[in-house]
Amino acid sequence: MNAEIALVLSRIVELAPGIREFWLTREDGGELPAYSGGSHIVLSLPLPGGIRRNPYSLVGDPNDHQKWRIAVRRQEQSRGGSAWLHESAREGQSIKVSMPANLFPMARLARHHILVAGGIGVTPIVSHARELARLGESFEVHYAHRAPEFGVLTNELRQLAGSDLYCYVASRNETIDFRELLNGRPLGTHAYLCGPQGMVEDFHKTARDMGWPDTHVHSERFLAPPPGEAFTVRLARSARELVVKSDQSMLEALEAAGTEPPFLCRGGACGQCETEVVACDSTIQHNDLFLSQAERDSGRKIMPCVSRLSGGCITINL
Amino acid sequence: MSAAAPSIKSQPVYRPLEWDTAGASHLLFVAADDRPLLDRLLAAPPHGELAVVVADPIAAERLGKTTAAAQMVLRHDLSDGLKSLESIVQKAHMGLRLYLVGPEDAIWQAAGIAARYGMLSPEIRLFQTGTKARPVFCVHCRAMTRGVRTNLVDCSGCGRTLFVRDHFSRRLGAYMGFQIDAEEPGVKPPVEVAYP
Repeated sequence: MNAEIALVLSRIVELAPGIREFWLTREDGGELPAYSGGSHIVLSLPLPGGIRRNPYSLVGDPNDHQKWRIAVRRQEQSRGGSAWLHESAREGQSIKVSMPANLFPMARLARHHILVAGGIGVTPIVSHARELARLGESFEVHYAHRAPEFGVLTNELRQLAGSDLYCYVASRNETIDFRELLNGRPLGTHAYLCGPQGMVEDFHKTARDMGWPDTHVHSERFLAPPPGEAFTVRLARSARELVVKSDQSMLEALEAAGTEPPFLCRGGACGQCETEVVACDSTIQHNDLFLSQAERDSGRKIMPCVSRLSGGCITINL
Repeated sequence: MSAAAPSIKSQPVYRPLEWDTAGASHLLFVAADDRPLLDRLLAAPPHGELAVVVADPIAAERLGKTTAAAQMVLRHDLSDGLKSLESIVQKAHMGLRLYLVGPEDAIWQAAGIAARYGMLSPEIRLFQTGTKARPVFCVHCRAMTRGVRTNLVDCSGCGRTLFVRDHFSRRLGAYMGFQIDAEEPGVKPPVEVAYP
């Protein structure tokens, strides 16, 4: 479970203020496993306080077996991961990386693909565009960003999509009108978006209002685990107890205590780390995008990657 | 009418047909004149544009005067009806919902056309009515034998006597048929009308 390989941070490129690209290669120069467009990897970042595992979408060419590329924006509210990558990461450094997993795959039977990127959400969109261009599929790309200098992957997308790349620059008051974007599209069109939360919600709502079924609308968004009050976790099966610090996620605390719960996205999206709640003397703050309302109401499940307790103690079946 | 619980998981179960209010436009394909159903549906047409394609002589005669639909295409047989359906689906936009009413052979051929244009199951509602005759796919020679009402049928491709199973393929829109006397040549149960 959670197999990791040690790779080398072989190259660091400053793409824009606060946005860096990283190349990961094998220490022995050998080939990396294949992945599909939309995949992400989890980096184990050696922060001073311990390992911090963050998911990043692969941005490069899925057929490039020599290197994996990621692009990282420095988060203003960084919990340390993006700050470390921007300040402490050095070329030549070894870093542990998970195998690629894909929670944002393309619909292979689509007749046309509309790819939409908001800001740094452009990363999985580039790998999709590469694969679609290689397959000769019909697609277009819409890329919204804050200001001209933040359109960091515009040239790459231009090469792939040509005149079917449309850029929207907020500093020039350009925005994407989803209603216009989705109007009058042929049957079998699929739309994909990776971007900030408000944009994702607006996209899904507009599509639904226009009669698009959810099967044709795809999005990806990883949440960062929000900080909160410290709380206690009791492990029912191993009869142990540990404390989740206020700036730590429950999953991170479990890992720090030596347990190895399964995970894929670490961002509340995939459901892999779902854990059974045996008892709880406080309120669970469900921050994930995975559990249904009924599952939340039952109080029997928690996603330890992003969800936590407002103080108190939770007993889980681990 | 939908049968009771299917004997096998792959056999389709058809729920009572209702308009899908999440759709922005609607296309109704009629391959059997199920009066109560069609009268109920057309008495309360859905919000958004409605087109109707009829592929049955009796329904075409009867529904000719219907005013509920913005577009009405009247065809007297299945093959013409399927062609008309395809020409509409080809030009249709996202937001369309497709409703297929008729015998399984007709509605699953129509569903196959919709799938070719990228429609997925949440956009398509099927309802079986009219004859229960089955399209049968020969697992030996891959030929299709249509309009099968009996438990056994001679394959239109290879001539083997096929037993008609309940095992249904949505992709092929047909029930699977396999040679009944493969192990003991000539030993066959009596032929009965099973799918009237």
